[in-house]
Amino acid sequence: MSRPGFVLDVDERTPPLLMHSGESFRLQEFPLGSRIIYPPESLPGVPDVDEEIENALLHPIDSEPLPDLLRPGMRLTIAFDDLSLPLPPMRKPDIRQRIIEHVLEHAARAGVDDVQLIAANALHRRMTADELKAIVGERVFRSFYPDNLVNFDAEDRANLTHLGKTDKDEDVEISKRAAESDLLVYVNVNLVAMDGGWKSTAIGLASYNSLRHHHNSHTMTHSRSFMDPKMSQLHSSAWRMGRVLNEHVKVFQIETSLNNDAFPSQYGFLTKREWEWSLRDQATFLGAKRGIDLMPAKARRKLFQSMQAPYAVTGISAGAVEPVHDQTLQRVHRQQLVEVDGQSDVLVLGLPYLCPYNVNSVMNPILAACLGLGYFFNMYVGHPIVRKGGAVILNHPVPWEFSTLHHPSYVDFFEEVLSVSTDPKVIEQKFEQQYATDPWYVHLYRTSYAYHGVHPFYMWYWCAHALDHVGDVIWVGGDRRAVARMGMRSASTFADALEMASDTVGRSPSITYLHSPPHALAHVK
Amino acid sequence: MTDFPAVARPRIADALAGKRLLITGVTGFVGEALLERVLYDLPGTGIVVLVRARGGATAEDRVEQLLRKPAFQRLRDRDGDAAVDALVGTRISVLEGELPHVPALPGDLDVVVHCAGEVSFDPPIDQGFATNLHGTLALLTAIETSGSRPHYVHVSTAYVAGRRAGHVTEGSLDHAVDWRAEAAAAERVRSAAEDASRTPEQLAEFLKDAQREHGTSGAMAVAQDAEHRRREWVTTRLVDAGRERARTLGWTDCYTFTKAMAERAVEQTAVHLPLTILRPSIIESALEQPYEGWIEGFKMAEPIILAYGRGELPDFPGVPDSTIDIVPIDYVVNATLAAAAETPEPGTPSYFTICSGARNPLSFHTLHALVREYFTANPLEQRDRGAVRVPDWDWPGAERVDQLLRLGERAHKTADRLVTHLPRSDRSRGWAQSLDRQKRRLEFLRRYFDLYRPYAEAELQFSDARTLALHEGLHPDDVATFGFDAADIDWPHYIRDVHTHSVTSTLRALTGGATRSAPTRRGLDGSSTANGRIIAAFDMDGTLLSSNVIESYLWLRLPELSGAARTREVVDVARALPRWLLTERRDRGAFLRSVYRRYAGADYEQLLRIVDEQVTDIVLARLSPAAIRTVREHRSAGHHTVLITGAIAPLTRPVAGLFDEIVAANLAVGADGRCTGFLLRPPLVGEARAAWLRHRAEQDGWDLSASYAYADSQSDLPLLRAVGNAVAVDPDVALSRFARRHRWPVEDWHALAPSRALAGSRR
Repeated sequence: MSRPGFVLDVDERTPPLLMHSGESFRLQEFPLGSRIIYPPESLPGVPDVDEEIENALLHPIDSEPLPDLLRPGMRLTIAFDDLSLPLPPMRKPDIRQRIIEHVLEHAARAGVDDVQLIAANALHRRMTADELKAIVGERVFRSFYPDNLVNFDAEDRANLTHLGKTDKDEDVEISKRAAESDLLVYVNVNLVAMDGGWKSTAIGLASYNSLRHHHNSHTMTHSRSFMDPKMSQLHSSAWRMGRVLNEHVKVFQIETSLNNDAFPSQYGFLTKREWEWSLRDQATFLGAKRGIDLMPAKARRKLFQSMQAPYAVTGISAGAVEPVHDQTLQRVHRQQLVEVDGQSDVLVLGLPYLCPYNVNSVMNPILAACLGLGYFFNMYVGHPIVRKGGAVILNHPVPWEFSTLHHPSYVDFFEEVLSVSTDPKVIEQKFEQQYATDPWYVHLYRTSYAYHGVHPFYMWYWCAHALDHVGDVIWVGGDRRAVARMGMRSASTFADALEMASDTVGRSPSITYLHSPPHALAHVK
Repeated sequence: MTDFPAVARPRIADALAGKRLLITGVTGFVGEALLERVLYDLPGTGIVVLVRARGGATAEDRVEQLLRKPAFQRLRDRDGDAAVDALVGTRISVLEGELPHVPALPGDLDVVVHCAGEVSFDPPIDQGFATNLHGTLALLTAIETSGSRPHYVHVSTAYVAGRRAGHVTEGSLDHAVDWRAEAAAAERVRSAAEDASRTPEQLAEFLKDAQREHGTSGAMAVAQDAEHRRREWVTTRLVDAGRERARTLGWTDCYTFTKAMAERAVEQTAVHLPLTILRPSIIESALEQPYEGWIEGFKMAEPIILAYGRGELPDFPGVPDSTIDIVPIDYVVNATLAAAAETPEPGTPSYFTICSGARNPLSFHTLHALVREYFTANPLEQRDRGAVRVPDWDWPGAERVDQLLRLGERAHKTADRLVTHLPRSDRSRGWAQSLDRQKRRLEFLRRYFDLYRPYAEAELQFSDARTLALHEGLHPDDVATFGFDAADIDWPHYIRDVHTHSVTSTLRALTGGATRSAPTRRGLDGSSTANGRIIAAFDMDGTLLSSNVIESYLWLRLPELSGAARTREVVDVARALPRWLLTERRDRGAFLRSVYRRYAGADYEQLLRIVDEQVTDIVLARLSPAAIRTVREHRSAGHHTVLITGAIAPLTRPVAGLFDEIVAANLAVGADGRCTGFLLRPPLVGEARAAWLRHRAEQDGWDLSASYAYADSQSDLPLLRAVGNAVAVDPDVALSRFARRHRWPVEDWHALAPSRALAGSRR
């Protein structure tokens, strides 16, 4: 039986605690009385995944069973989450592959010929053939690539359809193929609470014209948090769009949830509580830490990027989007939710090497900021872990480093936009349009492997709620120039960071460390 | 006052009233001061000036410009701008002419003051004679033909005495050198040097050196440089000839030698004119007139004083207790006017030495102490490094200083040879820059040590008895304004408070106390006015992305080959590398051809597919973001963006979207669709790029002077020089040196992070 998550109060017996910091990690001592949020231990996976899949397809929620929806001569589109999920990438076979294979078998049995698979990458970069293959598996890849297994192209005007507007005057413009299908099956991986639901189709298959209604500084500031769909304006907007979509196309949503086995067994210490480390865990920690720090940068990146998570599937739901998603969220909460009593003055976060947008790539400063102030800061329901006006201390080296292949507009955003302003509102008004419509970025997004020109803006908007809420952001060990460019400060050590934060939160602040990954979602009362 | 001469002289203003005075060399230091004094203090004297036209400015323009200089401010303050502006054409007659081609002179000249002359100490020997001797003779001939019989006042120098030791009296020089023979020999030296520079062996030498430095830029650049080297060589020969001839005859340098020759020529030619020869020593800033500290340009001691103040003069070759003979410019002007007012009999010339050493000697060590005192109290500021610490001199003697200098020069040469062969990097560019700085300093020291050595070691003792008598004969009312008794000079006040202060204030004003900042690219705000379309030309390899021809060859060829063939190909390329690199140093076009020869047999369509499927990612991942930003900036400014590269056309496909036009090497393809290994046209490298630009500019109305070019290597020099805004991008050592000399901006496009910027500062 896995133990639930809990909040540790640091006392004299507490050992130094593990903390991620980019492509490394370290042990950090905390002041007495600090609170440490540990996620629940990994839940057991379902005993038989194939059986679970079949069960979901044949007994869906608020929907006819899948075989009943399939008929010869129909247009079937299967959309699926791209490589931004899950993190780290899942050890083969990927759960999406297994589900897609089942769906395709049903389709074949029903005599469906017109099948297309679309990666719902919205404005994310295209995936390479190998990356697609890793998700859908060898068999599906061979049968459908390249003509019927494609990346979604949000700039291909000919293949977009404007379905109308929501009651809040928001454009709903998505993939024409998906919108004009007789059945749209969506296969998701619901790693955290913000994923899934109408976000899958209404966002994953949408164009800039549609996305701009919720991916903006106002919506993001008022999504508190976007890990809590009911309190998130981002999600409200996606849900409104989803209902418009629902009037035009039948959506069969298949959602999956994973447990907390985010790291391979040889890195077991990453998922254990420090005082329970065996001698072997301590030795592997020391060896791994020393080895990683001595490695040349290239080899180190390769090692981390090649890590695959032995995730187990905790459940699969299929059927109508909204009830399916309610079930999924319950499972995600069971794995990640931790009850936390009240806010604190300081929130401490250790940022790992990976975020949704640097798979097989470089975590640039903007992505590091987004991971910390966007994703980790928002890992709450109820109230933010840190009080209004408090301080966030982030651990990451924030190297001034970009992939010019994957993130060309990020480089320019960092040079030209952040050097003028770091205020999401100002940036949005002054620069967004220009970057979103820039023909060179559009060209690279469509033909190369580049994130869309507007993507760095979205990353910065993800941070908007945190930037609005907290009084101070300090990076421990961050590249000073890169951190300063983002309008923040860096400290050499955790102790120095606390010293610097004392201007904002006083000499003896209450401190909470979100011990993650694996993910923990704090329910702060 | 009883022993005062019974017949007092008239005042200078009265003596020269109603007379017409010709001054040569008014655009020089002494001439300008003289003109100002006459205008200010001698209202009754008419002035004729002989000035040459220069650039687009006529002689009159130049005199009008002259009258706007600070020296004439007190005249403007007293008489008003309108009156001063009206002087040209009324009180001042301007004659246009250049020595030795003197125009017809007026027939009513009363006094001629000849101040024009060579200012450099080491001119080429023929030039020294042309200006100092032939110029003077031409002036005398023109006077002769004009019908005027003026008082001819010849401004010479005290150092015509040469290298003798001891007393030098005010009289005709004691030597038997035949000035005609020397002048004729100087002419011959010129033609001999010209001939010697044109021997096949010598020309081959120039060509070899030029080839080594500019080989990659193309044949024309090499030819230009070789010819430039030849001219430099001739000049150096002539300078050496001047100095050595002067020394073999007992003079310090070509300047004093030719001045002495001119004196003798004047003595022999102007026998029926009243003749005065003035011999000032080292002339420095004004003590009082036109205002305290006035100085024009940098003369003899200023570079030394400034170098000392900057801490760059570790020691000095002089003898500490020998005399440095300095006189303020206003003393020289006063003495000149007093001498001009006193007309001697024809055939019995007057000689006046205007100096301080005779009765008020200033020793080198006092000068050093005073200058040091000044800089200790008012140090120069070095950028970001606070006040400069001025060195203490040990006076180790000329030999030792020379030895140290020679050691420095040798070390520099070795280091320089090393650094030009280093691979390009910030560090090697930095080393080259500091070597260049060191070289400039060494050259400066060498030049001044060589020049000063004879002066600094001189044990000359000038006598100024006649000059003193001239001063004492002044009308009592003139003593205050026209006095020139060197015994009056208060050295600490003059050197420390007047001269050094004045010299350094020019420098402080010039640089605002800091060295000049690095040049930056002109903004692309579209505000510039161009006569036609502005273009922006970009080089590819090394500029847009970090790649080279050999590497991209392997990207293209390896995917097509099987395992064993692939290994063979890599080995072959590795084996060819040394040969290719040597070829590249010599001729980039030949290098490209030999690499491209290896494409023979490659399926062209397949190459294109490989580029699209595999190479595009490599290229995009290596593209410098700063490069793309710059291209895009130019595009949005409405410029025509052009990629000019020696790379083969398929490789430019990934960046095709950025450019309006791409000029690349085109592989010839046979009927079977396979590359033949040849190119359709010669690759566009070196001068061919500039020629292409000019051709297109003419055809399509591009304004190259308002256009931009970006490149990384010396072989791109012709391209960069063809446009008005050249930018060196991560340049090799040779190009970075050239860029610094020409104040071209140098940009680093391949470092992602600013290398040493302060936190929070903008790039």
